[in-house]
Amino acid sequence: MTASFFARHPSVLWFLLCLSLFTILVTLLSEATGVGLISTSFVKTLGKTLCLCLVAIAMDVVWGYCGILSLGHFAFFGIGGYAIGMWLMYARTELIVVESLSKQVIPPTPAEISDAIGNQIFGVVGSAEFPWIWGFADSLFLQLLMVVLVPGLLAMVFGWLAFRSRVTGVYLSILTQAMTLALALYLFQNDSGLRGNNGLSGLQNIPGYQDVSQATVSIIFFIASAVALGAGYVFFAWIVSGKMGSVVKGIRDNEARVRFLGYHVESYKLFIFTVTAVVAGIAGALYYPQAGIINPGEIAPIASIYLAVWVAIGGRGRLYGAVIGAAFVSLLSSWFTGGGAPDINLGFYVIQWTDWWLVLLGLSFVAVTLFFPKGIGGLFDYLVRKPS
Amino acid sequence: MSMLLEVSGVTVTFDGFRAINNLSINFAPTELRAIIGPNGAGKTTFMDIVTGKTKPDEGTVIWGDRNISLLGLSESQIAREGIGRKFQKPTVFEAQTVRQNLAMALKTPRGPFAVLMHKKTKSNGARIEAVAEQIGLSDSLTRIAGELSHGQKQWLEIGMLLAQEPRLMLVDEPAAGMTPEEREKTTDILKEAAKTRAVVVVEHDMEFVRRLDCKVTVLHEGAVLAEGSLDHVTSNPTVIDVYLGRAHA
Ligand SMILES: Nc1ncnc2c1ncn2[C@@H]1O[C@H](COP(=O)(O)OP(=O)(O)OP(=O)(O)O)[C@@H](O)[C@H]1O
Ligand SMILES: [Mg+2]
Repeated sequence: MTASFFARHPSVLWFLLCLSLFTILVTLLSEATGVGLISTSFVKTLGKTLCLCLVAIAMDVVWGYCGILSLGHFAFFGIGGYAIGMWLMYARTELIVVESLSKQVIPPTPAEISDAIGNQIFGVVGSAEFPWIWGFADSLFLQLLMVVLVPGLLAMVFGWLAFRSRVTGVYLSILTQAMTLALALYLFQNDSGLRGNNGLSGLQNIPGYQDVSQATVSIIFFIASAVALGAGYVFFAWIVSGKMGSVVKGIRDNEARVRFLGYHVESYKLFIFTVTAVVAGIAGALYYPQAGIINPGEIAPIASIYLAVWVAIGGRGRLYGAVIGAAFVSLLSSWFTGGGAPDINLGFYVIQWTDWWLVLLGLSFVAVTLFFPKGIGGLFDYLVRKPS
Repeated sequence: MSMLLEVSGVTVTFDGFRAINNLSINFAPTELRAIIGPNGAGKTTFMDIVTGKTKPDEGTVIWGDRNISLLGLSESQIAREGIGRKFQKPTVFEAQTVRQNLAMALKTPRGPFAVLMHKKTKSNGARIEAVAEQIGLSDSLTRIAGELSHGQKQWLEIGMLLAQEPRLMLVDEPAAGMTPEEREKTTDILKEAAKTRAVVVVEHDMEFVRRLDCKVTVLHEGAVLAEGSLDHVTSNPTVIDVYLGRAHA
């Protein structure tokens, strides 16, 4: 990746510029590092939004560029969250347990410590045993590895099976939904080893940094999310440019023709599917420490459908479109459902936005699909004439 | 001379309908061949079989010096073996530029990693420009392929075929939608290409076939009806019958 890459893709530079300015602005206005105009909870909302933008550009690459309408990428996002959440929860519980046991006269044995941690974490699901999947939970490094490995491997196996059998179009979408549903249902079970519908909680507390305020933690995660989004953007912009981009877009527009040119289409799809799943996992690993909690509901099939809706509203096939769509719709969504929007009293009926937001979102989606297939990002075409 | 492609005893049935019926046909390493025949004769289906799109019920398709069977290979493997195809309905990547279309077709490594790390080189650029020159699209390299005229799209697809540097070119109705001058130019391109490889052209337009000035194979109901020079086959009474539609009378 060289200077000429940026010269040929000025929109990447523009994006990085806007993202940097935004990050600096929020940092200067935050409670921890600035004048305190932006509350800590809003910093977390913005940080989470950046993570959603990251998973949205992954979705745009797999759908908007490669034509694979995956309705399962939010599952990879959730897996990333669970992977980091396991370490956060384990390490923090360990600290608490060790501290409380150290007050005993007789020093605790390692087995006692382990039992106590197990009790703390799995008591809610009536168990104290450590399930095998927690085998690496004491190692931050290994759990970080899981953040990329588990979504990557799952995507690779799933993709290999699906693409090899040439499952395409709506059938593939249904298959990805089935995968997501199966995963969510599995996680909902108490004996899944991941605390059933309780999920993992207390993730905002970073083990070993109890004395650091949440205001500071929030701004660190915000900046980390911004860096990840910037890096992800450049990475994907690189992938979808040049010859790889040509082939990938070719597969989207006419996959049979690409085959007759001698390209093994399935390998390309598998590559794109897996790489985007890994990035989705990383985005999730940054998101859930800011959210503080993850439960199986997050992985519900509808979440992956929302992801597709954001990308469609923002504009498919352009990375900044996905960013705009994810940021715009998710912020608007928390405004409407969080009671930010005033209810409208029609006299005979009161429109409560907490209920009606979904209807509004659905209608906007239909309207965009029918009348503005290029989405919000399409507006930029009027501003900039693209040199070919 | 050993054959480049040997198709023998191939039969294809679609829901009980025999589109290809015990077809045998061979091609030499360097030759220009025209295939003619009425609508539904099985010309396109023949190309589908050779390129791996359709698997025959019976028969063999043997390729190249190593005499490998194409029937066990996927479409992309067959293409990498050196068989290129132009479709009846022009299919170029309309959302991309002429240059990008040609670059994608250019004979370079096809694996995802090689493609990801692909660097533009002077020699590849020169090859693209040479092909563009040949198909008369030198001034249109930066245009979006979707904006081209029908005839230009046909040429672009022929150009993609040339860029692939195949040993066998299967060209399905290249002259459709072309002006007479464009047709003339197309025959020149095909004749030139056939000097170093096998080129098989399916065409309805007899003037076009005459200008190709090559061996002609007449297909009818999925089998070879006649073979030889154009004058030879067109004076064949059964061929005349077929073309005048009296075969079923
Ligand atoms: N996938 C398919 N399913 C069913 N029937 C098919 C299929 N492909 C081709 N056919 C039938 O096989 C016969 C041969 O078709 P083919 O397209 O090979 O003819 P053709 O010689 O190329 O004709 P044309 O000159 O019109 O292009 C036709 O009757 C066609 O309807
Ligand atoms: Mg045909």
